[in-house]
Parts: sequence; structure tokens; C-alpha cells
Amino acid sequence: MRWLFRLLVTDDDRRAIESDLAELYEWRRRQDGERAASRWLRRQQLAYPAHLLLDRLRAAFSKRVATMPDLWRDFTYSVRSLARTPALATTIILTVGVGLGATTGMLSVVRAVLLNPLPYADPGSLLWIYTDNPPYRFRFSVVDYRALEADHPAFSAVAAYQTTSVTLTEGDIAERVTSKAVTGSYFPLLRQTALLGRVFDQSDDARGDRTVVLTAAYWSRRFGNDGSVLGRTVNVDGVAHTIVGVLQATDGPLERDVALFTAARWPTPTRKGPFFTMVLGRLRPDVSPAAAVQMLRASSARLFPIWKSSYQDEKASWGLQDLKSRVLGEIGSTLLLVLGAVGCVLLIACANAVNLLVARALHRGRELAIRSALGASRGRLLQHLIVESGVLTAGAASVGLVVAVFALELVTTYGANYIPRLDEVRLSTPVLGSLAGLAVASGLLIFLGGLVPSVRSSRLGMDRAPRSGGRSATDGPAARRLRHALVAAEFALATPLIVAAVLVMASLGRLRDVDVGVDTARMLTAGASLPGARYPGVAERKAFWDRTLERVAALPGVDAVALADSRPPADSGNLNNFDLEDRPTPPGENQPICTWVAASPGFFRAVGLRLERGRLLDSHSSTDNVVVVDRAWADRFYPKQDILGRRFREGGCTTCPWTTVVGVVGTVKWTGLEAPDEGTVYSPFVDLPGGYLVLRTAGDPAALTATLRQAMRELDPGLALSSIATGDDLVATSLAAPRYLSVFVAIFAAAALLLSVVGIYGVMTYFVQQHTRDIGIRLALGGAPASVRRLVVVQGLRLVGVGVGVGVAAAFFTARFLTTVLFRVGPMELSSIVGVPVALMTIAAIACIAPSHRAANLDPAVILRES
Amino acid sequence: MLQHFELQVLLAMLRQGRETYSVPLVLALEKHTGRPAAQAAVFIALSRLEKKGLVTSRLDEPQAGRIRRYFKISRQGLAVVREHRVEHARLWRGLGRLLGTSKA
Repeated sequence: MRWLFRLLVTDDDRRAIESDLAELYEWRRRQDGERAASRWLRRQQLAYPAHLLLDRLRAAFSKRVATMPDLWRDFTYSVRSLARTPALATTIILTVGVGLGATTGMLSVVRAVLLNPLPYADPGSLLWIYTDNPPYRFRFSVVDYRALEADHPAFSAVAAYQTTSVTLTEGDIAERVTSKAVTGSYFPLLRQTALLGRVFDQSDDARGDRTVVLTAAYWSRRFGNDGSVLGRTVNVDGVAHTIVGVLQATDGPLERDVALFTAARWPTPTRKGPFFTMVLGRLRPDVSPAAAVQMLRASSARLFPIWKSSYQDEKASWGLQDLKSRVLGEIGSTLLLVLGAVGCVLLIACANAVNLLVARALHRGRELAIRSALGASRGRLLQHLIVESGVLTAGAASVGLVVAVFALELVTTYGANYIPRLDEVRLSTPVLGSLAGLAVASGLLIFLGGLVPSVRSSRLGMDRAPRSGGRSATDGPAARRLRHALVAAEFALATPLIVAAVLVMASLGRLRDVDVGVDTARMLTAGASLPGARYPGVAERKAFWDRTLERVAALPGVDAVALADSRPPADSGNLNNFDLEDRPTPPGENQPICTWVAASPGFFRAVGLRLERGRLLDSHSSTDNVVVVDRAWADRFYPKQDILGRRFREGGCTTCPWTTVVGVVGTVKWTGLEAPDEGTVYSPFVDLPGGYLVLRTAGDPAALTATLRQAMRELDPGLALSSIATGDDLVATSLAAPRYLSVFVAIFAAAALLLSVVGIYGVMTYFVQQHTRDIGIRLALGGAPASVRRLVVVQGLRLVGVGVGVGVAAAFFTARFLTTVLFRVGPMELSSIVGVPVALMTIAAIACIAPSHRAANLDPAVILRES
Repeated sequence: MLQHFELQVLLAMLRQGRETYSVPLVLALEKHTGRPAAQAAVFIALSRLEKKGLVTSRLDEPQAGRIRRYFKISRQGLAVVREHRVEHARLWRGLGRLLGTSKA
């Protein structure tokens, strides 16, 4: 609800309120304890927007009501009139409201994520500069960055950063937070300034002081906006740093989840690699991106000979991409798909509303004729009709606002892990404007579609219309055609949506069926990072890791424990290039690349990974320079050949010793369930400063979390475990994006189906009412009830058939658009292309059964007597 | 027209006797009414009172320490509170005996 808060309160008041809340929180924490205070704070944070909104609404209403007596009268009359048909009014308000709200919510997400420029100064000239090694795009090495920093004719500035997780200690509170080590040019390049104190500049590179700049969000959360933090000392991974500034508040993607910035202190590199440095550039206005790429390639080529001994991949060069598309990745098609889905639901809801109102216009014609006879002018009647559709639309827009608020809350909560820039999504004035625009458009549709027949019927004249118990203009051929066309349109819109839902769910099902390659059911993992101050060297780290493995292995319920730098199925940090001894990469060609996992000897047993050939890693593997590969690697490079003893040089290094393959294990998913198996190399875990503990448990792995935390506290009280997850959690996380997509699309498809079924049911019920006399005559002349039933069902299916036919054609286009988000599901998937129309026709037939029964059970004698 | 809660906030402000901010008011209201008071409700009531001219405010943004919005009851605010007191006193007159809360 933060966005609502920001929308309703000025920045100054917001800061004062947050500060007061923090103070009250502290007071309650002292009085009632941490838990009660946290609960209180959460309640206050939720209550604020509601209080503010109610206050604004109350103020707006108290000013304006009763200044227009006619409108007020029309308004109350409309409300009373609609209250006489509560089912109809509620259906229209709810269905159109949900459609409006969901569409507004998605529009605001699309606007903030896809359309808005990044929230930095002159965002169009910001670029990400990377190592271009098709099909891969790597970050830079420090060597590359230093060379670029010294010579960058295409850019007015370049900057670099490395993101890490650190333990920040202030007083007696230690916390794991995300930190960025940035070069002095970073803030000037982004043109960011300080809210308090200062940010880094080029002079910090030279000084190399241990200093920290906090983000405004972290300053507010951890330090309660306290202006006296400047000059205070905090410990970052055990090393004292001085707070020199607080960065201005920003929602930019580069600051997302970041707590603090430190000045980069990268040692002078002795080799080209590793590639962990993100590089940003600001393009000069007189240089085109294409020219900049050429200049980057030339620089890379000049640099290559200097570092050839440690990096011989001559074909790898430098490239650039605009920062916004780098941030967005491939989320665009997913968001547009969901927006399309909600848009379809809104259109179907409007069609349904019009359909219901056309049916109501029969009675409305008589009512209007009576009012006209009693002296109401045409303008007055028109005003009343406009007010009535306005009431419906306003009701729908109010529902829409609530739904939009919840939709945004839902998307920002559940999509936070895989939709970038969600911090920038809020219910802003333009979004409310789009809700108003959509509401007006829907209101116009409702007004024109539903109320024009009423006006037409009022023209009949008061001597016919008030008395008429039979047909009026509203059930004439034009109105009937309109209703039929609307039902067909509903099915035409619902069909592609349901096809999309089936395809997305089929894709999710296939992803779920993918074999991860390890036993995730009994796996528990937890990240640990050793602070450099207390574990400065390999000896200290080795001692700690050895102690940890020994201590954790002795815990009750632990079958095995190991260390690794990655977690299956989608948490692998490293890719590495290499050159095979017996198949050297020709000059000018790219070296092969694959996933590289550092694992301790016990890893294979801990994850239940079977040895297929050779032997596993052991305590001598590091000194012997041996690795284990997986089956996919063996099949990729040495299909049906002996693989043991094969050698390669890694990282493009020409002088390094050879690395030997000593074993083959089963294939594991490391870079995502949907990613193709391109092979993995398991190298020894050589006392790295950070990694994951991987446990194989005897029982439920989640039950061991507290025991593991306790054990780690005993080993080192200053060490905080991070991102604890069971194997099944990890699989679920990697499935989160497709699962949320399928849930969203399925909900909208179900809504579309429901509305369409309501539509066909209403039309066929009305059809039976309108043809009561014809049916009565048919039955009186000896027609069988079964033939009447058939007549009604066939009539209904004819309408649905037309809609579904058009919908299937639309579904082909939708499915083609979907292929980017589908896994092993072709756009022509038989189940959806054939199954969905068949299912829709069946459901429509079922919806027609009730009206058809009513028609077949009519008593011809009664009907003929009445007519 | 003064709402019940707004009057309570004004009375709590008078008790503070000087310019004050939302935290002491929340605590005072909780203490004297025996009910929890939402900080949001207090802050919004203060903003509303400011719009009505019954309180004035200033933002205090010190280099060190917390940012606060301080409120102070205005002359008009004092007059409104006095009016309410007189009006209430008139309305209460003679009711004590009926309600069994006074001998009068």
C-alpha cells in the first residue's frame, strides 16, 4: 500500500509520519515486546492509506452534494430503479468492475514496467556494457573495466559495480543485507545526489577510505530517518566503515533491495577474469549506439593480446545494450499476455452488461413512455438515462478501484521475484486517469448498447407502449441481432483466452515433470558468507568449513552434509569457458562454455547424485586438478567415447595446468528447469569465502532449520545464515513465474468462460420467452417436446459456434505470441485447438438445457388462451 | 463543525500545554480514553484541524534526530474548545440528578 500512501501524503508529511511511527514502535516494543510492536506497526501501516482515503472521500462528498437538484433526483431515482432489479445491477457492477479493476491494475504494471523510462536522469543514454560471447553475455572482468575506464571515446562516463551480500553490524544488531561496491564514477554517471552528507565521487577511488553510503529506504528502516547517522561507524563484514551519506530516495532497479554502497577496492588483477563486474556507460550525445559498438570492439581487440596468456577467446568482444531492456529481460511478452487476458475479460463483461440491459429495455420502453406521457421532455429522459448508466459505471468504477488496488497488491507481492521494476508500480494519477478513461468507455458501451433501444421504444407513442404486453422495438430483429452478436463476440473473446490458459498450464505441467536430477525431497540448503575480517585467509576459512561440516554432520537427523557454490535447479552463479586438449578451439572461434559448480567431496552423496563412471571428487582433487563432469557434458563433447582422463584448460588460460576429468555423474538442472542440458563441470570447493551448506536429512528437511541455525550460532555467533531453503522450496521458486502466469491466465479464462455462459444462458432464456407463442403453436400442432428442446439448443449452439469459430482463428495468433513463454508446448497443441472448442460447445449446450426444458414443458393450451 | 475525535485531539493538545507532535497525543489519548488510538487517525485529525484553522503546524527537520511535524492550537482553536465547553455545560445542566451522577 506504499504507493497509495505516497499518492495521498506529501513527502514531508510522509517522512514525519514514518518517523512518528518508528518512535511509537520503539515505545510499544519496550512496553509490549517485539512481536506485539511489530503486529501493531503492520496494522498501522495498513490502516494509514484506508484512513487517508476515507478522509479524502468524506471531504469531497461533503462539498459537492445537493448543488444540482435535478441530477440528484435522477441519481436517487436511478438507484431506486436499479434496486428493483438487484441481480441485474449487481451482476453488471461486479463483472464490469472486476474487468475494469484488473485491466487498470495490469495497465499500471505495464506502464510502470514496460513504458516508463528508467527513473534516472537522461535514461535513454544509459547503457549496459558486457562481454559479448554469443549466445552468452557476461559481465566484465576488472581488467576489462580498467581498460575501458582509461579509454572510452563513445561514452561521457563509465562506471562499474559488484553486488554482494554482507553482514552489517551496528551496535549489537547484525543483519545480512545487499551491498554494492561501486566505483567513484557510479553516482556521477547516474547523476544521483545525496539526501544527507555526500555520495562517492572520483576522489574516493584514489583515497580508498572505508566509507559507506546508505540507501534512503535502508536509512529509514534501520535508522528511523535519523539525521545523526553521518560519521557513525558500522561494521561491514567485520570491517569498520564510516557512514558518509544517504542516497536520495529512488525506486530505480539498480537500487532495488540494496541497503548500502561501499567504495570499490578491487586489487590490481593479475589475470583477465573472473567476470563479475557490471559496467554502465553513458553514451555521448554525438555518438550513435552502432558507432559505440564499433569503438568497443576496437578497444577489446586492442586489449586482447595483452592478456592472451590468461584469456585466449579472441572471438569474445564487448557489446552494449540499453539499460532498460537489460533490466526488463523477457518479461514484456508475459505482461502483455496478462494485459490481453484482462482486456478480453473487460470486453466480455461489457458485452454481457449490454446483453442484460438490452433485455431490460423491454420494460424500460414502457416505463419511459409513461414518464413521457406524464410530461417529461426528451432531454430530461435522456439525462435520466445518462445518469442511470453513470450510476452503473460509477458503481463498476468503484469496484474497479478496489479490485485495482488488490490486483496491484497481488502483483507486487507475488511478482516481486521475477517482474523487474515493481517498486515503481503505484496507483498514480495517470493510472486513476486510465481507470476513469476505461470506465467512461465501458459506460459509453453500456449506454449505447443497452439504452438506445429504450429511447427507440419510447418513440412508439404512449397509446401503444404502456399497454403493450407483446413485443416492442426492443425485441425487434435489430435488438435480437445485437444480443446474438454480443453472445457470439463473448465466445470469440473467451476462446483464445481459454486456449492460452490450457497452453500455459500444459507448459507448467511439463516443467513440473522435468527431472531435476537430484533428490530434492530430503534436501536442506543454507547460504553462509565468511566475513573477510575474521576469516582473512584460506587457512582460517578451511578450518571453519571443516568444523562446520563436522558439527552439522553430527546433528541428529542429518544423513550427509556438503558445501557447494550453487543450488539446483536454478541457482548457479558460474559459467566458465575451457579449451579441450584433444579438440582445441581454432583461432577466432569461441571456446565452449558450460556451468561450473564448486562442490566439496560429500556433495554427490548429499544430493543423491549417482556416479556413472570413474570416481568422485575427494580431498586431493584440488591439488590433483581433477574434476567430475555430468552425462550431458560427456554426451556433448565425447558422445559414445571414453571420457575419463580427458583434459582441458579452463577460463581461457593458456599457461595454467591441465584439468583432468576423473568421473561422470548424472545430469542435474542448474540453470533452470526449462534450460537445455549443456553440461556441468564439478570442481573442488576450495575454501571459498561463501557458499551453501547442502544437507541430506533423514526426515522432513524444513524441521531441521532451527537446529541448523543453532549449530551455526554455536560455531560463530556473528555469522548469519541466509536464504535457507529446502530442495522442494528451490524447485517451487524456480516454478514461481510460470505458476503465477498460469494462475493469472486461468483465473481470467475462468471469468471469461463464466461470463460467456451467463450470456448464452440469458440469451436463450430470453429467446424462449420471446417465442413462447410460436413454441405453443408448435406443441399444439403435435410437435414433440424433444424437437422443441433440440430447437433451443441448436439455436444456442449456432450462436456459440460462430463465436468459437472466430475465437479459434484468433487463438492461432495468440498461441504464436505465447511460444516465448511456453516450455515444450507447440502453438498447434492438439489438446487446446480441438479440446477447447469442443469443451466450449459442450458447456454452452449444458447452459442451453434449462431454457430448452422450460420451452418443452410449456402448456400450449395456456399459451394460446393468453395470447 | 467539530467532530468528536477532533475535540478529543484538541483537548489532548491542551493537556500538553505547548506545541506537540502526534506521538505524545496518541499516548495521551490512549491514557485518558482507555482505548487504543490509531496514529493515522490522530495525524489526519490534526491535518483536518489545520485546514479549519484550529491548529497551526511546522515541520522540524533537524540535522540530527527525527523529523517531526509540530502542531500548536490556534487562538480560533481555543475559542472553539471554549464554546464547546460552554455548550456542553448548558446541555448537562440539570441532567446529573436524572442520571444519578449528582445531587444537584
